[in-house]
Amino acid sequence: MTVRLRRSEITAAALMLLLAWLVIYPILIVGSEAAHPMALREFLTRPGEWAALWASVWISLLSVILAAAIGIPLAFLFEWFDFPGRKTLGALIALPVVLPPLVGVIAFLFLYGESGFVARAIQALLHLQNAPWRLQGPAAILLVHAYSMYVYFYLFTRAGLAKLDVSMLEAAQALGASTWATVRRVIIPLLRPSLVGAAMLTFMTALGSFSAPYIFGGGFRVMTTQIVATKLNGDLPLAMVETVALALVAVVGLIILRRTEGDDILVALGKGIAPRPRPIQRAGVRRLATIAGWALAVLLLLPHLTLLLVSLVPYGAWTTEILPPVINLDNYRRLFSEPERLRPMWNSLWMASVSTAVAVALALAGGWLVVRRRVALRRAIEALLALPWALPGTVFAIALAITFSVHAPLQLRFVLVGTAVILPLAYLVRALPLTGRGILAAYRQLDPSLEEAAASLGAGRWRTLTRVTLPQLKPGLAAGASLAFVAGLGDIVASIVLYTYETRPVSIEILSSLRLAETGVAAAFGVVLMLVSAVVLGVGARR
Amino acid sequence: MSGFLQIQAIEKRWRAGVTVGPISLDIAQGEILALLGPSGSGKTTMLRLLAGFETADGGRVAVAGEDVTAVPPAQRRFGMVFQHYALFPHLDVGENVGFGLHGKGKGDEGRAKQKISAALTLVDLAGYEKRKVHELSGGQQQRVALARALAPEPRVLMLDEPLSNLDPALRERTRHELREVIKRVGITTVFVTHEQEEAFDLGDRIAVINQGRLEQVGAPDELYEHPVNLFVATFVGRANVFRGKAARALGANGTGVLVVRPERLRFAGAGLPGVVRERRYIGAAAFFVVEDDEHERFEVLAEPDAAKVGERVYVEATRVIAL
Repeated sequence: MTVRLRRSEITAAALMLLLAWLVIYPILIVGSEAAHPMALREFLTRPGEWAALWASVWISLLSVILAAAIGIPLAFLFEWFDFPGRKTLGALIALPVVLPPLVGVIAFLFLYGESGFVARAIQALLHLQNAPWRLQGPAAILLVHAYSMYVYFYLFTRAGLAKLDVSMLEAAQALGASTWATVRRVIIPLLRPSLVGAAMLTFMTALGSFSAPYIFGGGFRVMTTQIVATKLNGDLPLAMVETVALALVAVVGLIILRRTEGDDILVALGKGIAPRPRPIQRAGVRRLATIAGWALAVLLLLPHLTLLLVSLVPYGAWTTEILPPVINLDNYRRLFSEPERLRPMWNSLWMASVSTAVAVALALAGGWLVVRRRVALRRAIEALLALPWALPGTVFAIALAITFSVHAPLQLRFVLVGTAVILPLAYLVRALPLTGRGILAAYRQLDPSLEEAAASLGAGRWRTLTRVTLPQLKPGLAAGASLAFVAGLGDIVASIVLYTYETRPVSIEILSSLRLAETGVAAAFGVVLMLVSAVVLGVGARR
Repeated sequence: MSGFLQIQAIEKRWRAGVTVGPISLDIAQGEILALLGPSGSGKTTMLRLLAGFETADGGRVAVAGEDVTAVPPAQRRFGMVFQHYALFPHLDVGENVGFGLHGKGKGDEGRAKQKISAALTLVDLAGYEKRKVHELSGGQQQRVALARALAPEPRVLMLDEPLSNLDPALRERTRHELREVIKRVGITTVFVTHEQEEAFDLGDRIAVINQGRLEQVGAPDELYEHPVNLFVATFVGRANVFRGKAARALGANGTGVLVVRPERLRFAGAGLPGVVRERRYIGAAAFFVVEDDEHERFEVLAEPDAAKVGERVYVEATRVIAL
């Protein structure tokens, strides 16, 4: 045992060093190189920098508030009340998840943009000279954020409500509490961890959001777009200072939110029986709820449908009409026949696959060492696996770009920028928290006596792993892997900083198609990404 | 005793002050040994040391003369029934039972099938191969776990609290079935329990363990009638402990402690005086709680109408254990 134990400690040390090299080392490099007095002075004195930083903060906070305002009431409605179509609608409502950020943004552009459906329809209806509005600036960004991020609050709140024990609510009522008092004094405190979890996720996602500000920002800059713009201008020192500033905001935000989290009391109490949804009694209200529900579903589905429609319109066929005059599969034919279009597809697929596979392998090793072997370094390994979640993707993109553009083998720095390795590496960093979370949680739920039973029946390590451990970890593993794959497939944040023409992924191709006004091709790419994401997430969520 | 399974001064040091062992035990071929002790006594550690899930810090384990102390669990050929059964939830009953029969040569599939079927028949679950594990009742799951452990024909069978997961009504029946199956197979068995009744009913011999030490090992009646110390006397069966004047009134001649089972006390015309404080009726008999003049309480098992609450009585002992 002492020998085996020591071997697992050595493995743990190796894994920790590898993870540290991947997720901490680049950040440290940027941190140290950002301490450049000129760049610091530049950052501190330019008003644009402070404006962008402040914009990042308030946009993120408002996104949290908007997402909560939409997601929480919906969760209560679907968890507590029954009305026709509740089940179908409840599933549909999570639909924004299958839209990779950039795809969601272009769908919004086609739908609500100044030359989108809605604007055109209103323009035609009222015989206006110009489009009734321009989808630009903070309001546009917040619209997209609210649409895509309310899902976090919706899902987290529903999960929290489902864990709530009905007898606790009955106890409150038996003690004479009114419905409102029960909500305020029992339900909300018990839901707090779920709500804070959703708030953290929304805040981090909004802070790191790039696509929406990039497409809709116009002159309005947030920190992520500011960093990329500075980097493209070639002012690397300033980009590094900006990166550090954004990272600091993220860390401070997380710390503040974390302090309000409290313990997960519901977990401590064990699972109870969730209250059963009550049918809405009054016919009028029920009808209203049903209609509102379906209207909401249509609203949620509109971006998907728009994307599909635009993808069917051949190049240049649609100018001023409200509805497109021609519809065919031209764009898809081009997508799958022109090698230059096929290329980004393959790039995205293989890069996302490789990064997911490596992230799963590292998370499995981490899970085994942390949960089973309980190595001395377990806290460090767990923290390293989770860390990339706490920092916006742009921070890592810049950090990797800086760290791996220098040849200094003694510092473990190699020139990877410009090679086919750098993007999968960047995706891998972003994938680690997703696979790590899923697999570690699954490992913790796995009864160790199952593996001991296999051993006592004569099964060696390999057979135990493949026949017992992996099948038992499957739900958590599949969930983590599918999220990681979809994140890599639709990534734009890291890609836009690190891509080369040879390794350009789909998101970059979508951007350049848009720039060439080839909206149909861009939409077709978007539809393909959306379908692949939906299939992968669907498979990953299957038990 | 031939000592088919030999445990020699086996020891596990968890941390300073928390040590299990050194314990030595010889277990004969085909014998069922119970490891009995309160929770935290180290009995489960002992079992895991035997199975190889924990590595000993000292001592050795040998089976039929072969030293297996350093042999990993997968090669030890010890079957184990886990406390919560540890049935593989993603496999059906047949696949669970057949798990240990894997890879013993080509063309063995038919033989494996036969063995699975034989093992299931042994535990009275013939034809259950295709059932899902979670469809079974607790008792059936326990029998599948037993069949799975026995199917690869292990040299030793180990059971960790085999009946603790069953409801009380089922326990006694399952206990007899379990003993019957083990005896039919004739396998050397070690099992862990914290219930004296279970140990008595299932074990040929019982090893009483407390605070990591082996207190006594012997047949049930030996432990009951001739416990070597106060712990064994009070842990195995009900016992009244008398000291000083009360002990002398019951016939002790020295200054030692006297242990008397409740059924070895009876009301008489003379002896230890006291007042009946409580009567607990259990059907065939009743326990009478008697308080002596020094306000020490003890139990007497007697005919239901042998005394009344509040009555002044004299108690004498028919058999005592002097320690």
